[in-house]
Order: sequence, then C-alpha cells, then structure tokens
Amino acid sequence: MENAPVNTSVLKGIILNIQHFSTHDGPGMRTTVFLKGCTLRCKWCSNPESIQPKPELAYNLNKCIGKDQCGFCLKECPESAIFNVDSDTQVRINWDLCTNCGKCVPVCPPQALYLFGQEMTVNEVLDEVEQDSAFYRESGGGITLSGGECLLQADFAAALLAGAHQRGINTAIETASNVSWDFMVKVLPHVDTVLHDIKLTDPARHRKWTGADNSRIRANLKRAYETFPDKKFIARTPIIPGVNDDEEHIRATLAFIKPYKNVVDYELLPYMRFGESKYGFLGKVYEMQDFEPPSPELLARLRAIIDEAFDRNGNPARE
Amino acid sequence: MQMSTKRIAVNFGGSYVPGLNAVITGVVLAANELGWEVLGIRDGFDGLLAPERYPEGGLLKLTPQLVENLSAGGSAILGNATRTDPFHVRQVNAENQVEEVDRSGDLIAKVAADKIDAVISVIGPRALSILFRLHRQGLRIVCVPTSVENDIAATQLSFGFNSALSFAVDTIERVRQAAQSARKIGVVEVLGEHAGWLALQAGIAVCADAVLIPEIPYDLEKVAAKLGEKINAGRTYGLVVVAEGAVPRAGARPVVETVETDSLKASLSPGATGPGGSHVIERSGSAAQAVALHLQRLTDQATYPLVLGPLVKGGPPTAVDRQLGLGYGAAAVRALHENQSGVMVAFQPPDLKFVPLAEAINKVRTVPDNSVFIQIARSLGIALGN
Repeated sequence: MENAPVNTSVLKGIILNIQHFSTHDGPGMRTTVFLKGCTLRCKWCSNPESIQPKPELAYNLNKCIGKDQCGFCLKECPESAIFNVDSDTQVRINWDLCTNCGKCVPVCPPQALYLFGQEMTVNEVLDEVEQDSAFYRESGGGITLSGGECLLQADFAAALLAGAHQRGINTAIETASNVSWDFMVKVLPHVDTVLHDIKLTDPARHRKWTGADNSRIRANLKRAYETFPDKKFIARTPIIPGVNDDEEHIRATLAFIKPYKNVVDYELLPYMRFGESKYGFLGKVYEMQDFEPPSPELLARLRAIIDEAFDRNGNPARE
Repeated sequence: MQMSTKRIAVNFGGSYVPGLNAVITGVVLAANELGWEVLGIRDGFDGLLAPERYPEGGLLKLTPQLVENLSAGGSAILGNATRTDPFHVRQVNAENQVEEVDRSGDLIAKVAADKIDAVISVIGPRALSILFRLHRQGLRIVCVPTSVENDIAATQLSFGFNSALSFAVDTIERVRQAAQSARKIGVVEVLGEHAGWLALQAGIAVCADAVLIPEIPYDLEKVAAKLGEKINAGRTYGLVVVAEGAVPRAGARPVVETVETDSLKASLSPGATGPGGSHVIERSGSAAQAVALHLQRLTDQATYPLVLGPLVKGGPPTAVDRQLGLGYGAAAVRALHENQSGVMVAFQPPDLKFVPLAEAINKVRTVPDNSVFIQIARSLGIALGN
C-alpha cells in the first residue's frame, strides 16, 4: 500500500494562504493551510480566489496610485491586458486578455496588483506550521488542510499530512469530497479528523447550486466511513437561506450519517457574505447578492434537530 | 493571395439590443449577392462547441427566403452568449469535477471541419477582446459593434444605441407628465456605467433640468440651485436624468450615506466601492436612489427615483438602427470579400469603415469635455452638476 517515497523538499503544491490560530477548523487551536483549486462552483463561495487550480491575478483598484505617478504595469503586460481610460488615472484590467502570468505584480509598488496562490514545497509548509506547535500541545490542535478542495492536490496533501504526523502534529482536512476515490484513499490514511461538507440532499439542486450533482460525494463518503472506521468524521452544512435551510435537508443528512458510529458530529455553518469584495478584485461577478445570512432563531431550530439526533438535548455539545 | 470565401457564419456574442435580426438580414442578403452560403451559430459559439444540446443542430442555415420572414422587432433567432467565452468553458469532467477549460483550439478546428471560411460576430464591448484573441489564434473574423450605451471606441455609433435612446426619450416624457401632475422632481436612471451618451442625449431631447453623467462628477448643491431657479408657482416639477455610473465630485457631500451600512462587512471588505462594504453588488438603481434622496433634502420638492435599466434594450428598432443593422451586416460581408480579417465595422460619418480590433479594445468611448452635446446642454440651460 505504500507509495514510492516522495522528496518533501521538492514536491510542491499551490498554496493560497496559511492561516494561524484558527479555532473553527477542527479541534483546538489550528493552523489552516488553504490549497488552491476546487471541483465545485458553489454560488455562495466566500473564497473565489481559491477556485482556479493555478496562480491568479487580482487587482484592488483603490490601491492603484495611477498612471501619472507610476504606470509601470501598462508597459510590463505582454498581453495588453492592462489599460487606462482617459477619464481616470487608475489602470483597468481587461480580464478577457489577462493570462495570469504575473509579470505586472513585481512592478506594482502599492501592491494593487497581486497574485493569489504560490508554489511551496512540503517542507516549507511544514516548517511554517511547526512554528505554532506549542499552541497545538496546549489546545489539542494541529494542522488543517482546507481549500478550495485540498484533495485535488492529493500527492502533496498526503505528503504534507504524513510529514505532520512524523513531526507529532495532529491532522485534519476540510473537504467537499467531490474527487476521485483514488485521491481520497491517498490522503485519508494520514488524517485524524475529516470535516466534510454535505451541502444539499437533492442531486438536481446540488447541481444547480454547486455546478455538479452529489452522486460522487455520497459514494465517496459512504466508502470512506466504511473503509476508515477508526477515523473521526464530522459532517457540515453551510446554511444558505433559501437554498438548504430546511429541516428536510438536516433530517436527510442525519439519516445518511447516523448509521456510522465514526461520524461523531454534524455542524451547521451560517452563510456569511464575506467573499463578495474579492469577486470584484478577480473580475468576477458575485451571484449571491440577494441572500442574507441565516437568522439565529433558524440556526437554533435546526441545531435542536441535530442535538436530538445525537442524544444531547438540554446539554448541547457546542456553545 | 486571393482567398475566395464561400461559406460564412454569423453569431451574436453580446447582450441583446433592439433589432439584431436586421444585421442577419444584411449579412444574408449581401452574401447571397456574392453567391455565398450563410450559417447562423446558436448562442455565441455554443452551437459549434456543444451542438448536441440543440435538437436541430447548433448551426442554422440562413437563406434569403428565411430572413425575409424575420421579424425586425422580435428577439434574435440565434440566441446570444453574454457571459460565456471559448477560453473559459465550464464543464463537468468524467470525475464529476467542475472545471473551466480553454476550448479555443477546438473551436477553430470545428470552424474548419464545418468548412466555415469566416465568422461575422455581432458583439458588445466585452466580447471584442475575446474575438481579438480568437483572431490572433487564426480565426477569420469581422465584428459588428452593438452597445446601447454607445461606449465602443473607434465607431461613432454602435448598433442598438439609437433605439435605446428613442425609448428612453419616450419614457422620460411620460415621467415628466407624472412629475408635473404630482409636483415632484422625477429622477430617471438610464444605463451608462462609464459613458454618459444615453443620459446626455436623452436629457437634451427632453430638455431635462439636469443630466448627471460618469464623465462629470456631480455636486448636487449646484443641481439643487438650478432646480430652485426653475421650479416656481407656474412650473412645479423637475426632471433629472442620471447615468448609472454617475458619481459625486470628491469633496461634495457623499450621497450614499443614507444607504444601509453594515460596518462589519465594510471592515472586512477594505477595497469595497459600494455601500455597506459591497463591491460587485449590482449598481443598477443606486444612482437614481442616491440622487433622489439627497435632492429631496436640498430642495423644497419631493423627489421620486425611477430606473429604466435594461428596459431600453428591448423592443423594436428605430429606422436608424434598421438601416445601420442592414448596413453593418452588408459591410461585414464586404470586408470579407476584400479579404479583411480581425476588423470591426465602424460608422465614421459619412463612411462605413473597417478598423482593426486592436484599435477598439481596451478603450471606452466616453463623452469628451468639448463634445458638441455638452455645449448644446449648456446652451439649453441643462445643469451638468459641475
């Protein structure tokens, strides 16, 4: 079952961000490593910069100091994708011509132009993650791989988590599980806690809101629960009003997970509109503008159903 | 080298505008005179890239007999493609994973396989760049510009603008009646994110009291002063036309302060441009609302905002657009006959010319300070907010 040994100072992944001191991405105080590239296109996505599996240019117009003082990017771009209109001084990006080559980034003094995503080796990531090891010991935390879809970079993720275990660091992943089973089986042996989404029950609605149906997700999860009885699984649903905030979905999810003793909890994550400004920076359009975060009353009602299913009525496990 | 074009295709790559069928008719009739065959590609390039989606195939044979019966006022028979492009085609792969793939190579191969010698694309400002890239990859292409905002560079007139303008004028005249009767100030918002042609020309045509356009940041105190002069016992209403992209002058009192602000969201979206920390939320409607709210405080009159928005893009074309569509369609065929490629048909009075796509992209045709329309507006006593 062992793969050929990997050279952890050579194998590279595309990292979006390494976030220290996360408290919502698994047990204890954690360091979350966001891997770039996703296999779904959820319309409520709050991290649009994590979707494409390659480095991607972003532009914050408000930081641009203008072509009169600077203008280096206009000369640097080989695709003529940066331009300026006479009526304003700041540059504009023609996203249809941009190839994300990144040549404009180093010549932009105010960092209005920047690239989302950089290549890092397994060891580079581990060295940064290990800096927080004192906090992990205190809090029972560790490393969490998130995304995008962290399983899309399966070899890198597996090497990273195996390396973390070697350094005595607890591991977790956040996944939507819409990948080939080969990827799941490569990574899961090195994971202590699997936080996985169950976004919608109905396949057609799943396709409408995320771009693909949920057949592979359900098949993968069932197989994962059965193949790895000793791992801890936690199901999660991002609650999006008008999309999946109904009792029916909560009950269907409970029915799906309850037969498996290794699925230890089911969490609801309220939708927040934090991502929308980032869509503008990437030249994309945010489609969820009419949606509001769910009310506390709604969340409480749905959580009560879960507490009942997990036999903790009157004594909820969470705050 | 003489290249004889025998079979050409036409498609729509932009948003809808009145009278797109006139362009098809122009292409088909002009091609027929040369003995060429014309195919229509459905939904931008989808008819070629995903023909299996269409029960009758992705290509539609366009004959003079067919176009004779096309309604000039009806919606375009070919469909269009506003937010898709062959360089980023979203698909679900064999692993059920969603991905965006570059299918420009496939597209060019499909064009060759279907023995299509050249494509005439009727497109808006955004699709110009996509067609420019396809041209660089070897596709023979001639573009016809459509824009109800008339913001495409290198042409004096984009197809669809005249019809939108006529409809806007017609509607604003009705708003005047309502404003007159209710003794209020009507604030009408029209399309125009970067270019104020529609607001300015419509405002002149109806003799509005003020016209606010993106090119001239406005100071509402000045607009209010002008309205104060004009509104009296005998004329108890006001009429303001505002382009959706009009913005207040720096230093003038901000007008978005009254819109609900979410401080948490704002703090998390430091680059946001909209109210409450939003950045890409549809701006349509916010210009009229902001101007109406603020004017209401600065004048004695009640105000009411009205947003025309995309309404002006529907309906039948005017005589000008019918002629322009037929002319553009025929000229595009002439360009191909003259072995031109990678060009856009442009109306530069009194001529229809062909300009390289490179001259049209990365530009926005805005209203210059010395525009004759600005002069006319000032002569008529229309306040421009500065």
